Amino acid sequence: MTHAAAAGETAGERLGPASAPAGPVIPAAAPRPHRAGRGAQVRRRLEPLAWLAPAAILIAVVVLWPIVTLVQTSMQNITPIGVTIGSAGTRNFSKLFQDPNLPGILVRTVVWVVAVVALTMLISLGLAQLFNQRFPGRRVARWALIAPWAASVMMTALIFRWMLQPDNGAINIFLHQLGIVSQLNSNQSSWLGRPDSALAWMIGVAVFVSVPFTTYALLAGLQSIPGELFEAAKIDGATRWRSYRAITLPLLRPAFLVAAVINLMNVFNSFPIIWEMTRGGPGYETNTTTVFMYNLKESFIGEAAAMSIVNFTLIIVIVLIYLRLNNWSRPDPREAR
Amino acid sequence: MGRRLAIGTTIGTAALLAVAGCGGSTGSTAAAGSTTLSFFGADYGAGSANSTTKYWDAIASAFHKANPSITVKVQTVDWTDFPTKVQTLVQNKQFPDVLEGDAAPQFAQSHLLYPDSQVLSPSLLANMMPTFLKDGQYQGTDYGIPFTTSTRALYYNKKIFAAAGIAAPPQTWAQLQSDAAKIKAKGYVGYGMPLGSEEAQAEALLWFLGDGGGYVNASGTYDINSQQNVQALQFMSGLAKAGDTQPSPGTTDRKDVWAQFAQGRVGMMLGSPAVIPIIQAAGVLKTADYATADVPGKNAPLTSTLGVHDDVVAFNTGGHQAAIRKFLDFAYQDKYQLEFDHEYDLLPATKSAAASMSANPMFAAFLKNIPQSVNYPAKASWQTVQDQIQTTLGQAVSGSPSKILNAIQKTAVSGG
Repeated sequence: MTHAAAAGETAGERLGPASAPAGPVIPAAAPRPHRAGRGAQVRRRLEPLAWLAPAAILIAVVVLWPIVTLVQTSMQNITPIGVTIGSAGTRNFSKLFQDPNLPGILVRTVVWVVAVVALTMLISLGLAQLFNQRFPGRRVARWALIAPWAASVMMTALIFRWMLQPDNGAINIFLHQLGIVSQLNSNQSSWLGRPDSALAWMIGVAVFVSVPFTTYALLAGLQSIPGELFEAAKIDGATRWRSYRAITLPLLRPAFLVAAVINLMNVFNSFPIIWEMTRGGPGYETNTTTVFMYNLKESFIGEAAAMSIVNFTLIIVIVLIYLRLNNWSRPDPREAR
Repeated sequence: MGRRLAIGTTIGTAALLAVAGCGGSTGSTAAAGSTTLSFFGADYGAGSANSTTKYWDAIASAFHKANPSITVKVQTVDWTDFPTKVQTLVQNKQFPDVLEGDAAPQFAQSHLLYPDSQVLSPSLLANMMPTFLKDGQYQGTDYGIPFTTSTRALYYNKKIFAAAGIAAPPQTWAQLQSDAAKIKAKGYVGYGMPLGSEEAQAEALLWFLGDGGGYVNASGTYDINSQQNVQALQFMSGLAKAGDTQPSPGTTDRKDVWAQFAQGRVGMMLGSPAVIPIIQAAGVLKTADYATADVPGKNAPLTSTLGVHDDVVAFNTGGHQAAIRKFLDFAYQDKYQLEFDHEYDLLPATKSAAASMSANPMFAAFLKNIPQSVNYPAKASWQTVQDQIQTTLGQAVSGSPSKILNAIQKTAVSGG
């Protein structure tokens, strides 16, 4: 059930924000001009419930239930084959926190999330700016950018793993011809066998698959900035760099924030890239907390559920801190103008 | 990558919930006198062409013809997903009646199984190879029913050996090292050493045995961090550091090494009969280009090699003891045992099938190793220990062998 529970945990973060708007959008029972009988009045009062019910049931079954099961699982003593043999209290948690591998994994998770999100945002800012310019073939270029997004992440990771094969991977052969890799089938060409270089390559792949979505989010933001502002700035004698900092960046903030938060959650929960490329190995040296949760599940189902809850808490805390730092509550600058 | 993932998880969760919601007992007794048995097994095939479902379906329908009142529903799942799937079935209490592919003690510990004596006829029980039967014991009672087995030997590429000027396969570690260095000088991988998560426990055990070590000591208690085991890993680490193996043995899976050997790029490696079809499929090496030999040890070749076996277990949760017994007696006929081993190049688990198979010279070498083979520890906690070996042992070739073995020993001792 950890599988379901773990999946539910990720679904929780995603579905929450996605399905929540269903509530407010539904028309509330507004007072109607003509008087009606008592029965009709009750029916009218209950009407919103009927509209809300599908969304509410969906949230309860798909989001809340798995979370409850997850919490239950984390407090149970479950044998490796899946038989529940009683309550474990908080032992799963204390065992998890005493795991000698955990500190390294937490640090690596931070490196992974910060590096991937920061690089993705930086590259996407540039790409969005580029794609906002008029140039021949822009339509084709914009379509081409979708490719890494449309391809299965698992396939992308698998193909990168093959390209990095120590003896005949395409990337290695290329690097060998350039003289960067001195010998094929050597420790140097075994990029995924060394934890540091493996992590670097996986960060690269994660950025590669995250950039398209981020670029499109930022591009949409850029297109919503009225051109007159730039004209006015030009008349006032502002340099390009100055108008980028003073106009583009502030007005891009809402789109930037949304893209960054979504990337934070996705990258934190990212599983297929690491799993396909290194399985978290050698040892636990390329595990992030998400991969570690899956590794634990092989033998320690309760402890994996505990890890899952820690992950869930971490991601909520990270997002809250990030939103706080960015003054989420501050009014949209466009309203101020 | 955002939206797609979110939708994927949603659908996945919904599907899992649906499955959980409909969960009930799978093997149900329908009309009076008619019984449905559910069979869940591992898939040994590579794709749908030689899926193991076909093998079991054929047995099930032949069995149904002979016993019209019993229907067997067959399901198999790929090895990679097998442990997870079994875990999920057990956790949701959707027990099959017959399960093939897992070890017995862990289930027996939870009182989920019929003992062998209740689901096998005395003659079939007596026909099982004793060396494998004893591994399926829990507290002195047989619960595991060996179904298919295999042993390990050293494969070597004769062409590469000739090119490197090596006359005979190595018998000791020192010879293996110098041979590997000679082969490496010719541009091939000297010795293929898979210590990745797929099957690190097998490669390591074959080296441990060469030094008189192993996972348990003579009295049967875990002795994973013994001096012999540490020394064996140190030797392996030396091989890897000298470049006599493929790069990064700690993250290389068995299937990759086997495939490279089949491509003619590896001089030596340890393997089971299951390597043969891979070599044949690759079409690079002819039968005369490679051979097998005893596994080299520190000072002499191993007298007892690793023997692995996949067991059938019969769950008592459905209460179908009589039907299961009829089915197993039927399915363990020699012709079915041989058909399976022929299809997947594995070895049988019954004495009579082994006797008729030993006529084939290709398998004779592997079969003769069975009686004195060393198996993985027959303990309920082994699965947990094995998981940790698969995940962490690979680091021993780059890091500290004793530190890693100590950690595994700690898990082993605390788990049983």
